[in-house]
Order: sequence, then structure tokens, then C-alpha cells
Amino acid sequence: MPAETRRRTNRERLAARRAAEAAARARAERRRRTVLGGVVAVVVVIVGVVVAIVVQMQRSAPAAGAAAPAHTVDGTVIAVGSADAPVTVDLYEDFQCPNCKAFEDATGSTLAGLVADGTVQARYHGMAFLDTSANDQYSTRALNAAAVVLATAGPDAFQAFHDLLYAHQPAEGGSGLTDDQLVQYATQAGATGTTVEKDIRDLTYGDWVRQSTDQASKDGVTSTPTVLVDGKRLADLSANGLNAAVTAAAGG
Amino acid sequence: MVRGTTLRGVRWNAAAAGPWLATGARLVLGGVFVVAGALKIPDPAAAVRAVRAYRLLPEPLVAPVAFGLPVVEIAVGLALLLGVFVRTAAIAAAVLLVVFLVAVGSAWARGLQIDCGCFGTGGEVAAGKTAYPLEVFRDGALLLAALLLARRPASRLALGGRPAVDPVAPEEYSRAR
Repeated sequence: MPAETRRRTNRERLAARRAAEAAARARAERRRRTVLGGVVAVVVVIVGVVVAIVVQMQRSAPAAGAAAPAHTVDGTVIAVGSADAPVTVDLYEDFQCPNCKAFEDATGSTLAGLVADGTVQARYHGMAFLDTSANDQYSTRALNAAAVVLATAGPDAFQAFHDLLYAHQPAEGGSGLTDDQLVQYATQAGATGTTVEKDIRDLTYGDWVRQSTDQASKDGVTSTPTVLVDGKRLADLSANGLNAAVTAAAGG
Repeated sequence: MVRGTTLRGVRWNAAAAGPWLATGARLVLGGVFVVAGALKIPDPAAAVRAVRAYRLLPEPLVAPVAFGLPVVEIAVGLALLLGVFVRTAAIAAAVLLVVFLVAVGSAWARGLQIDCGCFGTGGEVAAGKTAYPLEVFRDGALLLAALLLARRPASRLALGGRPAVDPVAPEEYSRAR
């Protein structure tokens, strides 16, 4: 019996030691695999980052020869009024932006008067960032159509088209104006010709619209409307505010 | 003995809920990161504008950050969703969220009119439509989840890591496995 007991104790001790060794081996193996997995994961992420940077750089590179519409200044600016006007007013707007409509409703006629009497040159900078699937990329379609009108009929027709689009701005979250309506307003603004309808429907200036939106970003503009009077940001977006700022700029 | 069992039973219930909470934190945090990263990829120009809008980085760094960040976000999010390298991923998520909070907070403090660009827009907003309080609250809540997860990463439904079992009974591991 004692021999039997001793043998069993020895056997148990041996089994326990083997189990402990196996557990230690398993732990070491698990640790090794975790480290290996971690290294692989880090390498995969780094490669992914590098690939993404290279691919996205190519995708976001400006399309070769993005056609700027005729009559633009510096590629993306649409200038209305005399270049000799003593004051320049820069306007950054999106055709779908409700606050831009509010600004246009409040100050449009005032600005038109200042441009007409030669005090102000208005410089429009188009932005298109309110595209949604619901409005069928209305911001982009509207700015493209405005470029078509500008290229076909010049800055004054652009101004008329611009005013028509704000007067008939579609509700935010709505479906946007249709291409048919854009063509109709373009005609009304004085842009006629065989290519107008096609250029509006085919987004002929789509690349230019992107370029214009990027230029606004480079100009440090992130919200619309942003209005600069002789380069100084206009805080009071009312007719009185605009008048006062222009008067001050003209006097100084 | 009886007292001990009762106490242990109570602790077990509390301990059993923890891993499931960690699973919830993993799925929410991971889901948000994967979605946020994926939405920044289709329009690279918008991603660049969103980063530039903060006016924190010099121009040469804007594009690499705009293009690299989504990949990191997706990697961190996938790790959390799958349950591999949970603690590391949670710490990475926390670091990213702190960076986001600092960036959004500084834009707010400087009075910039921007959208955070968190979910793939170009950072532009219509005047007066900024949403800084919401953005800070959201990032803050996610940061809290990430920190809790980094502290207690053990969770259910995870592919990697040790299974979540009461840590005072190590023998249970081998038998549970």
C-alpha cells in the first residue's frame, strides 16, 4: 500500500509538472503569436496609409486642363462691374445655402446699385458643398449652369442668372431645381445658343466647380456667405452694413 | 464557506455584466470609427478641405493627414469590432479622440465657422450652422467609452485576447478554453 501510494503521488507530481510545462509552452506560444500578429497588423496599417495617400493624391489631383469658363478672372473668380471701381466686394456663396439667399434678399439691390454707379466691383467665388443625393447634387449643377451662362453671355448675364437662382432657391433638404428649370432660367438671363442646354445637362464645367470650391478653401473660407469688402470681412450682412463698409472703404 | 459563496456569487454577477458592457463599448466605438473613416474616402478633395479648414496644419501636411487618417480610423474601428488588440485599439481611439477634441475645441475658441468634417464633409458650413457643442459632447462620450475599454478590455464576442472570466480563478481559464 505505501509503495502504491508513493507511486501514485509520484505519478501525480509528474503529471502536474507536465501540465505546468505545457501551460507555460502554450502561454509562450500565445505571446509569440500575439507579438507576431501585432507586428503584422502595424505593417498592414502603415502600408494601407501609404497606399491611401498615394491613391488619393492621384484622385484629388486637379483634372488636367479643367476648362475654366470664359470671362473668369484668376481662373475661378467671376467679376461683375468695372475693374476700375474703387472698392471690391468678394462674395463666397453656394446656390443652395439659405443664409446666402437671406443675404441676397437683404442686400442684392444695394449691391447692384453700387456696382451700377461704378463704386464697387463684385467678385463672386462659387462654392458647391451642399450637394446631396436628395437634391441631385444641386450645388454643383447650379454653379456649373452659372458658369455656362457666364461663358456664353458674359458677367451681366451671370449676375441676372445668379439673382434668378436665389429668387427661386429650392428648399434645403428638398429636391433642388431640375436641369430643365436651370436651362429655362439661363435662357431668361440671356444665355441662348445651341450648347447652353447641353453644357448644363452634361456638367461641362464640373471640374471647374470642384476647382472653385477648393480655391475657396485655400482662401480660408469655410462658411457661406462670406463677404469681404476690400479684403475685410463684413460682419453685418445687411444693406446698411454693406453700405457703411463700402463707404468706409471708398473714403479710406 | 457559505458566506464566501454568497459574496462570490454577488461579485460574479457584477463581473458578468462588465464584459458585455465592454462588448457594447467595442461595437459602438468601432462602428463609429469605421463609418467615420469610410465616409472620408469617396471624396478626397473634400477630405483635404476639411483638414485645411481647421487652420492648424501647414499646407504640405494637410493632404497626407486627410488621406492617412481615414485608414487609421478604419483599422482602429475594425480591431474594436472584431475584438483583436482591444486594449491597444482602445488606447489608439482615445488618443485620436483627444486630438479631435483639441482640434474642434480650438476651432470653436478661435471662432472659426467650420463643420468638424468628422463624417466626410469638406468642413464648410452655412453661416451660423456650426455644431460645436454637439461635436464636443459626442467626442467626449466616445473618449469616455474608449478609456473604460482601455482599462477593462476583456469582453464577450471577441476574436482575440483572453476570454473574460473572473480573474481570481485562473484555473478556470484552462477549463473554460
